[in-house]
Amino acid sequence: MSVALEQGLKSPSPSGGGQGGGPVVVERSVPMTGAVELVVYHPPSAAALDPGQFFQVAVSAPHSVLRRPYSAAWSDAASGRIGFIFNVVGAGSAWLSVRHEGHELDLLGPLGRGFDLEGERPVICVAGGLGVAVFPGVVKALLARGRKVTVLQGARTAAQLLPAARFAGAEVKTATDDGRQGHHGSVVDLLASLPPPLRGRVGEGGVDVVACGPTPMLKALIDTARRREIPLSDIQMALETPMGCGIGTCLGCAAPRAGGGYLLTCQDGPCLRADRIDWDRMTDAFHG
Amino acid sequence: MAERPDLTVDLGRGLRLRSPVMAASGTFGYGFDAPQVDRAALGAIVSKGTTLRPREGNAPVRIAETPSGMLNAIGLQNPGVEHVAHVYAPEWMTWDLPVIVNVAGDSVEEYVAVARRLDGVAGIAGLELNISCPNVQRGLQFGVDPRLAAEVTHAVRVTTQLPLVVKLTPNVTDIVAVARAVEDAGADAVSAINTYAGMAIDVQRRRPVLSRGSGGLSGPAIKPLALHAVWQLAAQVRIPVIGIGGIMTPGDALEFLLAGAAAVQLGTVNYVRPQAAREVHDGIAGYLREHGLTDLRALPIRSVSVLTHA
Repeated sequence: MSVALEQGLKSPSPSGGGQGGGPVVVERSVPMTGAVELVVYHPPSAAALDPGQFFQVAVSAPHSVLRRPYSAAWSDAASGRIGFIFNVVGAGSAWLSVRHEGHELDLLGPLGRGFDLEGERPVICVAGGLGVAVFPGVVKALLARGRKVTVLQGARTAAQLLPAARFAGAEVKTATDDGRQGHHGSVVDLLASLPPPLRGRVGEGGVDVVACGPTPMLKALIDTARRREIPLSDIQMALETPMGCGIGTCLGCAAPRAGGGYLLTCQDGPCLRADRIDWDRMTDAFHG
Repeated sequence: MAERPDLTVDLGRGLRLRSPVMAASGTFGYGFDAPQVDRAALGAIVSKGTTLRPREGNAPVRIAETPSGMLNAIGLQNPGVEHVAHVYAPEWMTWDLPVIVNVAGDSVEEYVAVARRLDGVAGIAGLELNISCPNVQRGLQFGVDPRLAAEVTHAVRVTTQLPLVVKLTPNVTDIVAVARAVEDAGADAVSAINTYAGMAIDVQRRRPVLSRGSGGLSGPAIKPLALHAVWQLAAQVRIPVIGIGGIMTPGDALEFLLAGAAAVQLGTVNYVRPQAAREVHDGIAGYLREHGLTDLRALPIRSVSVLTHA
């Protein structure tokens, strides 16, 4: 078969991947144990990105077909750079994790809805595990809006925490499952242990909560919020579900909508307010 | 040799396409998303499966990747035929691209009711009868029994003047028997194939990955199987066969056209490569030029007896 007939497997992406001007990896590092950070140079994407949006990344892992959704960790319009922080969970992320400086990437995006970061109240960012990957850009954008930011970051061990220096200008508190750094326990327990006004009680001025992490963590956060009368509409979260297309056509990334039916993570999210989700129907099978 | 080969396709009953490349049902929504796709490369869009009443679809998890393919169990989430006729069709009327509505149902009466609502509605170019959805309670019932397939095809045929394509399931012993039955019942074309029934199991959790248990397998994993089905069908039915199944590249599409397909539908690849339709279209045109062929009708291999390969 001629090269021309197989071209579909190699040609450039809609975001401009490929020869000349396409996304290219300019840095690779290990920001914490078990994670990789890729810095990608692509000014149009860096300028267009809202914190919390994602890209569908084409991977060339053996026998893989679908793109993989990755939220951007941060972007910088001035330098034209976007960062991605992720861990290896399968063949696709394994392939992506060994991209090095000079590799071109095929990115579709930015896609979906980012966080609503407007407002004046203090913000608590709640990050569980690799959910922290979305927060460097979120925190930077919040600080740029003059908001007071507290980052609560939980991980299994201290080595799996993203260094606090990545959140310069914000107060950072940590929780570890083994108790060797910060609060001994979950990041949601840490949130619950905080004194007012960080608990965000109604009538105390309140706070906004922005969360990202495994679904069991998000469910625990919802339980805590209900007990402490934090309105779910004050909590935004980045959802993670299996995803097919990322553009609303396959209907594969359904999440149960409050009031019945389903939302699409790719179009209605991935960032949305917690009162839009039917938490009783929310499965945690996404993180098997 | 023609500088620009003729890529038009005649699917019967006045349904003429400018390109043999179509978007498969369920992979292109109702045509309002995927702005990156070059529509000029497409011959037609086939809509998401549409039922009489709106359907919420299945609970998550709805999709899973498997080796060289993906499983889906969406469950026909759709806004219902009234919304399609009332809201979408007027938009489609303004497009320079035919939209074929994929019709699904639980009973002959439901198929007929959907077809009746769409008959004569401006903006709708044809119907694709989905008698092959593996992801709803009775979706497959009509597709696996030639008698029932003929019954529902006939019932819809006498209800509408629209061109009628019947989409076949591969989850049968004899796909040709079903195809002949719907041909005799008045189908203008058949599309083949829908997804193969399949599943994946989460070993750690000891349960199926998809909440429904099983789903439909698509993607490159099924291409050789789909190609064989099309090869058999093209030799044994008189109406046009639209080839579907794991087409990712121009070469894949050409295999189906050589096997006897009159046109092809792109499915899973739409999720991965929005530019695939353009690449496949241009690849087919380039192939015709390279081989000194003026149109698609010269492509099917007819000299080989299908029976020796069945």
